[in-house]
Amino acid sequence: MELRLIERFTTLRGRRILEVGCGDGRLTFQYAPAAGEVLAFDPDRPSIEDALDEQAALGLPNVAFRLGSIEHLPARGVPFDVALFSWSL
Amino acid sequence: MVHALRRAGQRLRSGGSLISIRPHRTWLPVVSIITPSRRVPVARLDTPGFDTRQSAAEAALARVVREGGFTLAGIRNQRYRARLDNPSQLRTYLELIAPPRPRFPPGRRARLLELWASRPRGSYIEIAEGIVVTALRRR
Repeated sequence: MELRLIERFTTLRGRRILEVGCGDGRLTFQYAPAAGEVLAFDPDRPSIEDALDEQAALGLPNVAFRLGSIEHLPARGVPFDVALFSWSL
Repeated sequence: MVHALRRAGQRLRSGGSLISIRPHRTWLPVVSIITPSRRVPVARLDTPGFDTRQSAAEAALARVVREGGFTLAGIRNQRYRARLDNPSQLRTYLELIAPPRPRFPPGRRARLLELWASRPRGSYIEIAEGIVVTALRRR
């Protein structure tokens, strides 16, 4: 349902996506198979560990999960097409 | 929140999208038991600190638009219902929500368990909620 709403504004297919507040990757794993690259942040260590376990099980090499907040992301770098704040504002 | 949005803006390409998904301000979660013949509302969940957080999120989104880095592409409100097979799934469901999480009012969780214990065959638990999606476009 969340993805349907997002897709009303932009496609995620083939896109380079920054997800802020990914939690355990519940939303990430729904769109990642069709996305280009994904960088997903969350400050909660157990959630990121769960996400990494699930990623290993699913075999999704285009997703990078990181522990921390977006403030730790360098201001410069390869630009993203979409920034998702999923339940994190 | 503003800092996070600004940093995201720094890393978005021109024309890129910033999407915020968050709980709806007034469509608070309602837990019901759905039997084959009727809907039994059990509790409207408390959301402590919710108004303050939602106001801050809306203000932060409005601010980055005012600052000129983004344009508003649209806002969409949506109601949805999640179907859960048992009360333990409800705990998991609520733990997925970023704090502050919705909570049962006093006595209502016990009431849910009591009703669930005597449910007719084919019943399930439903959470009806609302979400709001705000889309900004990077200039």
